[in-house]
Amino acid sequence: MVLHKFGEKLYSGLVTTMTSHLKEISNSIEAAQGGLFLDELNRKWAEHNKALQMIRDILMYMDRTFIPNTHKTPVHELGLNLWRDVIIHSHAIQSRLQAILLENVRRERSGEVIDRGLMRSITKMLMDLGPSVYQDDFEKHFLEVSADFYRLESQEFIESCDCGEYLKKAERRLNEEIERVSHYLDTRSEVKITNVVETEMIESHMHRLVQMENSGLINMIVDEKYEDLGRMYCLFRRVSNGLVLIRDVMTSYIRDTGKQLLTDPERLKDPVDFVQHLLDLKDKYDKIITSAFRNDKTFQNALNSSFEYFINLNSRSPEFISLFVDDKLRKGLRGVTEEDVELLLDKVMMLFRYLQEKDVFEKYYKQHLAKRLLSGKSVSDDAERSLIVKLKTECGYQFTSKLEGMFTDMKTSQDTMQGFHASHGSDIGDGPMLSVQVLTTGSWPTQPITTCKLPAEILGICEKFRNYYLGTHTGRRLSWQTNMGTADLKATFGKGQKHELNVSTYQMCVLMLFNDADRLSYKEIEQVTEIPTFDLKRCLQSLACVKGKNVLRKEPMSKDIVDTDTFLFNDKYTSKFFKVKIGTVAAQRESEPENQETRQRVEEDRKPQIEAAIVRIMKARRVLDHNNIVAEVTKQLQSRFLPNPVVIKKRIESLIEREFLERDKGDRKLYRYLA
Amino acid sequence: MHKLGRGHRDKVQQFMTITGASEKLALQALKASDWHLEGAFDFFYGQQSHIKSYTNTTHLEELYKRYKDPYTDMILADGITLLCNDLQVDPQDIVMLVVSWHMKASTMCEYSKEEFFTGLQALGIDSLEKFRERIPFMRSELKDEQKFREIYNFAFGWAKEKGQKSLALDTAIGMWQLLFAEKQWPLVDHWCQFLQARHNKAISRDTWSQLLEFARTVDPALLNYDAEGAWPYLIDEFVEYLNENGIIQNGQFK
Repeated sequence: MVLHKFGEKLYSGLVTTMTSHLKEISNSIEAAQGGLFLDELNRKWAEHNKALQMIRDILMYMDRTFIPNTHKTPVHELGLNLWRDVIIHSHAIQSRLQAILLENVRRERSGEVIDRGLMRSITKMLMDLGPSVYQDDFEKHFLEVSADFYRLESQEFIESCDCGEYLKKAERRLNEEIERVSHYLDTRSEVKITNVVETEMIESHMHRLVQMENSGLINMIVDEKYEDLGRMYCLFRRVSNGLVLIRDVMTSYIRDTGKQLLTDPERLKDPVDFVQHLLDLKDKYDKIITSAFRNDKTFQNALNSSFEYFINLNSRSPEFISLFVDDKLRKGLRGVTEEDVELLLDKVMMLFRYLQEKDVFEKYYKQHLAKRLLSGKSVSDDAERSLIVKLKTECGYQFTSKLEGMFTDMKTSQDTMQGFHASHGSDIGDGPMLSVQVLTTGSWPTQPITTCKLPAEILGICEKFRNYYLGTHTGRRLSWQTNMGTADLKATFGKGQKHELNVSTYQMCVLMLFNDADRLSYKEIEQVTEIPTFDLKRCLQSLACVKGKNVLRKEPMSKDIVDTDTFLFNDKYTSKFFKVKIGTVAAQRESEPENQETRQRVEEDRKPQIEAAIVRIMKARRVLDHNNIVAEVTKQLQSRFLPNPVVIKKRIESLIEREFLERDKGDRKLYRYLA
Repeated sequence: MHKLGRGHRDKVQQFMTITGASEKLALQALKASDWHLEGAFDFFYGQQSHIKSYTNTTHLEELYKRYKDPYTDMILADGITLLCNDLQVDPQDIVMLVVSWHMKASTMCEYSKEEFFTGLQALGIDSLEKFRERIPFMRSELKDEQKFREIYNFAFGWAKEKGQKSLALDTAIGMWQLLFAEKQWPLVDHWCQFLQARHNKAISRDTWSQLLEFARTVDPALLNYDAEGAWPYLIDEFVEYLNENGIIQNGQFK
């Protein structure tokens, strides 16, 4: 027919015939009852498709020649369009189809089993008819109805479930929808429907869930419910600001509990315990972030900033961390494997990084290290050195050069002693044995100059050593640090019991006096030994008032030493052990006045550092305004401490006074560097 | 002008064009320098504020002899007292500070010969009479903002001990009260009280000069005080002191 120019007739004939045929089909579909509706529709559709194929084959010639020329719709497409217009969009069928499809979904959501294959065929049909058909006739409504469904359901759940249960349910529904899509919906619907579930089930109730009493985020953290937390993380990740919410709530919780810990006087009584507690806390949160929050970097950062915040709330934190390390290096790490030692030190370094006042830590660390080295009390030399290396990596050479100097001095002293004994070995004979550690002044913590008269018995050997040393090192000065050092004394008591007493230098001076007298008053002891009052009282206390160590007796007996006390050699002293240690105590947390003093010294040390920074900056920039100087100085010094802007201002004024800087003549807020 | 020869007339013309001076001044300057232009310029610029007369060195010598100390070639405290008497001016009068400033005196209570000469020449004084006449002018100089600042800053170096970097507190307070009697500053008494109560140390040059800026630019109720204004810390502390003691409350100065 086409060849004979009857294409038009053929075409329009096709349209008419098909249309009327389809109308009949439409009726039959409409007639189908209830559940059979979809079935009937599906069957007819399949038939139609088959028919279309045949028609297309038959009319192929027309399809290829007449239709393109006349810009008419190709046969196959025409068939689909007609199906759409006559059947799907027929008044009766359209709304019924929609309703049944949605009803099926609803039923499946309530747990019923539906014919998924059939659903798939129908939705595929809609898609074949054109994406807008699928969307307008089905998807749009599907999403709306789903939203309503989940809004209701989520409201129900939130009233009746606790947080963990709710999240489980939400997760289940989410997975269901994803599965549903894969079975009988267009893949592009997935993101749309999951969006609906996320919005209705998660986003709308986010805050309530997190804050839920007894089961919310905080409770999960406290009870270490890793699974629930992980679930919450995955779900909340899907909605905007979901993770932000979790992070914020967690952060303020950590900050609050941290702050409480740092300001609780009970907790602060035992520094070692306190720091251990901090480490445990960090471990706990780390575990949560790795197990439940997928090591999310933003959470790591929030945790770090929280710790940094509250650790610095207590100005004693640097001291306490040093005391913790001291405890570990003295005894805590005994018998621990090298690996575990490294682990612990790394954790300590992490706490160290949080400190704002690293220079305060340095001061205390130096003091404690000095005590450890001099009393030979370090558990592991390797561990000590390992920590120094870590500190050096973190803070640079300057931080650790003095510490390393201390180690060097210890080694050098050993060599010196060897040399001394080699050359004087024969001289000593029965006299006291001397072992000296020579400390380089700059490397060790500054010591107060102490007076103390050494007993005559040891003066001889002390002089020998002094001469020996100065003989090999000209131009040096040696001074005995009597506030340090120990002595081993062989003592014989009343019934002839012998003990070896390990005591401090001061204690030795006091005890030696009792070789010549049985009783001595406080004043007499003070006069002869010239030991400073505070130290003398402490020394006498440890010799007379401590059970098991009371080699002296005090009259009157009491806890504290007063000027009017008298001391007697305790003939009746007994001890299970031959060797009795009465000596130096391990590093203690400082008393308040000591703490003030250390603080003051730190402040004094900071002044030249601040000035040096100002000069460095001004030398480079030549001209700079006040606020910028403060900012730059702070930046330069932040790895050691946080400088106080008022102190910076005072330093600037001092530099103006000393003509390093001047104010600009035009703008008084500008400073100029004076070469 | 018509009395002058052509050469002189030209010079007057030239002088006036270059310096912008009036004909009368040009004539004076050229006459004083014996009609040498260079000399005339020196003379003219060496004066301050269009001094109309020039000074006779011999008279100055006589004046100097009157006041100088018998044993040293300087005018010391007694000489200064005598001078003040002659001038009928109180030795504590601030005008003496202005005089010292003109002299570029290095320290109070003494004038070197050079300082004496410099100052009086600058002021065009070679007799007591002229000196007395100049006093109102000098007082007027204190009213000039720029000059007052110069005099104020000069006062620091002049009032402090030789060889010291800072100014003793008592002296500083005395000077401040003198200076701020001239240029009214409502907070001066509080400032002095604050220093005596809280600071009790010498005053640095920077603090001294910055105080004037503070008094000039910040209103007594501190409404426009900028905490980030790079004021010396002593001034920051003063502001705190004012707030703490209720002297400034809610932007009101009591």
